[in-house]
Amino acid sequence: MTSDKPLETPAPACSASYTGKQPPPFGHQLLKYFSFDPGYVNLNNGSYGATPTPVSEACKVISDEVEANPDKFIRLTYEARWIRCRQRVADLIGAEVEECVLVQNTSHGLDNVLRSIDWKKGDFIIKTNITYGPVVNAIRFIADANPGVILETVDIGPPYALDGIFKSFEEGFKRVQSSPEYAALTEQGQRPRIVVVVDTLSSLPGLLMPWERVVGFCKGHENVWTLVDAAHALGQIVGINLNKTQPDFWISNCHKWMSAKRACAVLYVPRRNQHIIKTTLPTSAFYVSPNDYAKDPTLPKPPNFVKQFEWTGTHDPTPYLSIGPALDFREWLGGEEKINGYCRDLAIRGGQRLAEILGTEEMDQTPNHEVTLNMVNVKLPLPDTPKDAVKVVIDGFFKKKLLLGWNAFAPPFYLHGSWWVRCSAQIWNDISDFEYMGNAYKELSAQVIESIIDEKGELREGYTATISVH
Amino acid sequence: MAIDKLPNSAPPNHSASRSAQQFPSFGHQLLEHFSLAPGYVNLNSGSYGTVPTPVIQACKAITDEVEANPDKFMRLKYGTALTQCRERVARLIGANLDECVLVPNAIHGINTVLRNLSWKKGDVIIKTSVTYDAVDKATRFLADINPHPTLETISISPPYTLDRMLRAFEAGLKKVQSSLEYTTLTEQGERPKILVIVDALSSTPGLLMPWERVVELCKTHENVWSLVDAAHAIGQVVGIDLKKIQPDFFISDCHKWLHSKRGSAVLYVPLRNQRLIKTTLHPSAAYITTEEYVNDPSLPSPPNFVKQFEWIGTHDPVLYLSIGPALDFRKWIGGEVRINAYCKDLAIRGGQRLAEVLGTEDMDNTPDHELTLNMVNVRLPLPATPKRAVRIAIEEFFNRKLLLDWNTFAPAFYHDNNWWVRCCAQVYNEVSDFEHLGRAYKHLVAEAIQNIVDEKGELREGCTA
Repeated sequence: MTSDKPLETPAPACSASYTGKQPPPFGHQLLKYFSFDPGYVNLNNGSYGATPTPVSEACKVISDEVEANPDKFIRLTYEARWIRCRQRVADLIGAEVEECVLVQNTSHGLDNVLRSIDWKKGDFIIKTNITYGPVVNAIRFIADANPGVILETVDIGPPYALDGIFKSFEEGFKRVQSSPEYAALTEQGQRPRIVVVVDTLSSLPGLLMPWERVVGFCKGHENVWTLVDAAHALGQIVGINLNKTQPDFWISNCHKWMSAKRACAVLYVPRRNQHIIKTTLPTSAFYVSPNDYAKDPTLPKPPNFVKQFEWTGTHDPTPYLSIGPALDFREWLGGEEKINGYCRDLAIRGGQRLAEILGTEEMDQTPNHEVTLNMVNVKLPLPDTPKDAVKVVIDGFFKKKLLLGWNAFAPPFYLHGSWWVRCSAQIWNDISDFEYMGNAYKELSAQVIESIIDEKGELREGYTATISVH
Repeated sequence: MAIDKLPNSAPPNHSASRSAQQFPSFGHQLLEHFSLAPGYVNLNSGSYGTVPTPVIQACKAITDEVEANPDKFMRLKYGTALTQCRERVARLIGANLDECVLVPNAIHGINTVLRNLSWKKGDVIIKTSVTYDAVDKATRFLADINPHPTLETISISPPYTLDRMLRAFEAGLKKVQSSLEYTTLTEQGERPKILVIVDALSSTPGLLMPWERVVELCKTHENVWSLVDAAHAIGQVVGIDLKKIQPDFFISDCHKWLHSKRGSAVLYVPLRNQRLIKTTLHPSAAYITTEEYVNDPSLPSPPNFVKQFEWIGTHDPVLYLSIGPALDFRKWIGGEVRINAYCKDLAIRGGQRLAEVLGTEDMDNTPDHELTLNMVNVRLPLPATPKRAVRIAIEEFFNRKLLLDWNTFAPAFYHDNNWWVRCCAQVYNEVSDFEHLGRAYKHLVAEAIQNIVDEKGELREGCTA
């Protein structure tokens, strides 16, 4: 693909389905702007997001344009539209457009960063016990591929509060700095790199983390880098200001809470760090080898950061370009503050109601619900089941029964000796959804206790696990 | 819902008078089943493919199902649906199901292999002067980082024949193996790895390459591996039999010639080599660390190849699943043999006609058109323009004018000191498309010579890229 001069064309107009209309109130009345099965109680926006119908319609218009003339679209039209979408996301997170590129999803963007770092023996990666699974694997792979890189896990445990979580990071950091490996290298005059992988909101459980404080803390130390897994941030956290916070790397999904089409994420790399990202993953045709640049300085200067990310192989351009229609839709609904005001309030009230029905409690016990945004985690009335095989059976049982029997979903998960359910409060939800979910999980938990596990948390006789762990 | 079937037993707009036995005629009549803008003369399906309208409609039905209940689809349905697609693709290329996984595109798949292989100082990657640009860049990146494997580029030069190409590979391999570094390391008992990247069909120029024989050549040498960039192969090369050919790695786009949606490709890794692919390009939830497995042998043993590729983070599942409807469509219009017989014949005749209009020649001047399948490369009557800035200016000029003024496209490219145009013959094309393109390029070449480039191949005064 050549560097054709971009063609400025207007993006498709907002969907006719809502132009000129007043948005309905949040809650079930908004379901008509989504495409769920009638009656499906979706309390799991956090996993895959949901594409509003107007956004799907806008994507169809873009798709039609692509299919009418793929070469014209990809070679001449795409670039300007892509830049505009990046600009809109950059504005939303207080960053500059030149620092924001698009990737398929957060895991991909995070790994692009991890793989770009020039790892040395004695480098550390700090993660937590609630770091997202595939991200943990990406970190483990780095350790596998670079023997001598040491992993340190910060344990996030009860009570779940911002100060406590921050202290856990501080303690983990101190542990690293006082480790024999770190001390040995600093005595030799070296300063090993520490990369801290911190979530803005963790996934399971869905908790707000003191990520800005962790970033600030890391900045106070030499050769400490922050890699922020912000998968859940866009469209949920209001008033992000990366210009101010200045993490080293920050990646967030647009298709989770920001209403874009699957799959699209933004990778933020401040200018000072762009030299680290030598290549996209996979390598783009716009990669410039330093050797080639040395021979021909008219080539773009490595790493040619933004241009590399413009095209890394043939893909469907509509998810990236759905950012515009997604943000238009959210603006029509009242904007980020209004949306998230509703969702957070519902998460808190819904969580309380759910805990009532289950006879349990919320994970967030702080007086001001300081670790709750739009996700809430409520304990399930189950005993401890420490064995992996048992966890797999219970997890599989809940998923099947909920999706096929109750026509509802919110994922169960196990943490620190207890089972929990994570609910996502979205603009189409209301309190009755939490009540329904409570009834479902109450009954299903009773079934688990009756048929699947005994009081000791072991599988009942005659009940075998048929599902493999992975 | 059977998602790999077309919505009706006969595709939409299917004339009631046609019997199930009769296939539709190829050519402009088939445009009815594509969504190209009326009047747009598309001679470039080789870059981004074209999706038939019935496939788009089948995909919409899948998308609707996903949006109706994303969790239900992703968690309970997708795995089986994906396996069905993989099965159909595996059959098409004569491979086993457990050797085929889907990736977003050939570049992704090729990088997956390149970044997984363990490289040592002295290892060599052999590519060619027609290796696809992005693949070439991927090898350059590898050479730029520790331990800096060496790159060796084989020149594919005229006269172009399959035999000469094979001999070029043989000579290139010999050159590497007789180099001082290679012989020294081999004598020390550390024979370096040689990875040969060979195209099934190169891109620009679009030429069939003797890839099966190159694979065989690699097999006769110790520690020489074949990576087949088969981006253009599926849906163009008929009767691929990987069980027989046994390349070490083979990657092909389905969205180029197989009519699936953009963002679907197959990565073939025979069982014997799967231990080398430790991770998907970015690790997934199914990545198993060696440490984990040692501690718990009840886990799947690394690398858990197929499972790792099943889910690499949230993506649009429709792209992979479009392969089913695409194959159904191709079956409906007559199947792989019939489709490619038409396209190959048209590529040859179209190329001849184009060369006549331009007053030049086909790159493939072998008596049997042995280098031509569905793509044809015809020379443009421009002077040599070795400077990069000039080439960029000319390419940009052609791209814009073709797409905006002449409502047609086939990419111009510079190769061996000459300008060429590569045309893709598809089921909806006819010879008149090549004539139209010829008129366009004839006019634009004249304009380029008058306004952009002089006889020495330099930019004219006042003209900047």
